[in-house]
Amino acid sequence: MNASKTPGLIRERQERMAPYLLIAPAVIYYAIFWLFPVLNAISGSFLSAPLKQGGEWTLKNYAAVFTDSMFYRALINTAIIVVVSVSLEFVLAFALALLINKKFRGSSLFLFLAIIPMSLPAVAVGAMWNSGLATNGWLNSALVHLGILGEAEKIPFLAGGQGANILLIILVDAWQVIPFMMIILLSGMQGLKPEMAEAGRVFGGTRWQVLHKITIPMLKQTIVTAMILRIIAAIQIWLIIVMIFGFNRLPVLMEQIVVNVDLYTAETFFRKGMALSVLVALIVSLASVAYLKASGALGAKKEEAS
Amino acid sequence: MTIPRPLFQAAQKTTLALLVTTVALTILFPLFFLFTFSLMSDYETYSEWPKPLWPHSQVRYRMEKISPQTTRLLIWNHGQSQWQPFGPEHIEANEEVAKKLSRFLTNYGNTTLSPSEILSHVQKAQNSGFHEFTAQKSLSQNYQRFFRLYSGAADAVLHSLSTALLTILISVVIGGMAGYAFARYVFKGKDVLKLSVLFVRMFPPVAIAIPMVVILGRMGLYDRPAGLSLIYSVNQIAMNIWITASIFMGIPESLEEAALIFGANKRGAFFRITLPLAVPGLAACAMYSFISSWNEVINALILTQFRPTFPVVVYKSLLGANAQVHLIAAGSIAQAAPAILFTLIIRRYLLQMWGGVKV
Repeated sequence: MNASKTPGLIRERQERMAPYLLIAPAVIYYAIFWLFPVLNAISGSFLSAPLKQGGEWTLKNYAAVFTDSMFYRALINTAIIVVVSVSLEFVLAFALALLINKKFRGSSLFLFLAIIPMSLPAVAVGAMWNSGLATNGWLNSALVHLGILGEAEKIPFLAGGQGANILLIILVDAWQVIPFMMIILLSGMQGLKPEMAEAGRVFGGTRWQVLHKITIPMLKQTIVTAMILRIIAAIQIWLIIVMIFGFNRLPVLMEQIVVNVDLYTAETFFRKGMALSVLVALIVSLASVAYLKASGALGAKKEEAS
Repeated sequence: MTIPRPLFQAAQKTTLALLVTTVALTILFPLFFLFTFSLMSDYETYSEWPKPLWPHSQVRYRMEKISPQTTRLLIWNHGQSQWQPFGPEHIEANEEVAKKLSRFLTNYGNTTLSPSEILSHVQKAQNSGFHEFTAQKSLSQNYQRFFRLYSGAADAVLHSLSTALLTILISVVIGGMAGYAFARYVFKGKDVLKLSVLFVRMFPPVAIAIPMVVILGRMGLYDRPAGLSLIYSVNQIAMNIWITASIFMGIPESLEEAALIFGANKRGAFFRITLPLAVPGLAACAMYSFISSWNEVINALILTQFRPTFPVVVYKSLLGANAQVHLIAAGSIAQAAPAILFTLIIRRYLLQMWGGVKV
């Protein structure tokens, strides 16, 4: 057999190996730059210092996190922001997409505009709302120009309590996310065949029934993917909050990581930040898996991204 | 009573138009105001209320004669709609004073007036009691000042660019190879790998960045664009596998098969047939990688020290002690511009990922 290795057989074998060779670089890359640091992060969060420098295994880093009252405030704030903003954004974006789901003059220009907020760098969005919400900012200026406020009146947007601050952040986030969410849903809807909804109508379905029984189920793949990416991103919100309120005024999880790792320099804070980042990673993964389970997408065979 | 159909349709159309306009304006206004802010002079920033909502391209000045030797300068305040004193209390007509005033007008009014021009305006005011004139506002001045004031901003742009280019190189090549395998082959473990791509995205990059401080330090890549691009690629490869898989699936396999029949080998068929067809899609994929690398902050914050990327500089300028709104606005517009531009170029591909509406 070995003597008679025909070119055809070699080719066939190459052909069988090809996908693995093509995947290999990605797998190796993830082993080095993902798995290794992930293991490092997990083990490092249980160490008082690097092992070589005489570090010991300890639970102190996690104890430091769990005894910090900021952590609980951050956890609650993040949870509120995620739940309220993700559901609010989805409902509003879906409603807008349903209403706008028609060809109209300038519709391509409109879609063109709607992509812009999501493409903006977070620092630009932060600077935009920082200068907008300041007492002398453009939002108050616009209200004066429109005659809604008198010359001497200014709304102190940033001087509210914790609840008002969270609301503000949710609104700012909605400004950035809703347009994009809307076009994702719009493109999903326009990929649907209009005959389906029509058939539903013909057989006596009400508008609501058609929406509930036909449109939403057919859009499921799009919705699940969009929502999962949104949840992952929403748990990691921090930059806009810091750029509007500064550190420690409206604590959220990611912001607390930055506070510990970047603002303070001592090893204990670095370790605490590491423990916190592992916890956040855990929360993000659990939330995503929970969402996938609840939406029933995990059991089903995953479809292509296209 | 039922509403007549044409009337109903007209009402529907109007509602749609109103809705679309409202959404479009809500999207545009904040961005436009940020742009307006980026063009304001120091005077407009600190002394005008309400702030202009439309950028002024000119500044109105007025010179008034006080005595035969002295003149005073006023500036038009748009907020209060009146003339207000600007600069020194009185101006004598000599070269030294004119030079100083010229610098003052550049710094605080964003207008360029040479000393001799100033002297001639003073002369005119002396002749007729008062004299009004307008000066062209420099529109790029805040942008230049941002880069001068926040030292390292220009270098930071270079760091951002090299980080982005390296990220593109790593993530498009590695992601593209895997994406091609996903599109063309059936192999063991395909489904597991596909799910793991999603799982990688679930793990926040910041958790990887913190141990990477030590790992990159050992490799000598801490605080270097190359080190940063290694982290950015982690997330980006996962994304690019999805994107390139859908690109390659869009190119019919039969074209490759035809090439094979005509005697090309598999590699030749790929490089001569499929790759050229995939170029526009891959370019979009590269631009997408550029945008996410260009915009990223938290990893750059953790993994750089003396060689920050541009967004980090903008971020720090805003959190710094003497944050100057109009200059930061200029910095953020400069940061946002390439991201907006590239997104608009690739918008068709972005939407195709989600279902394929034509824009």
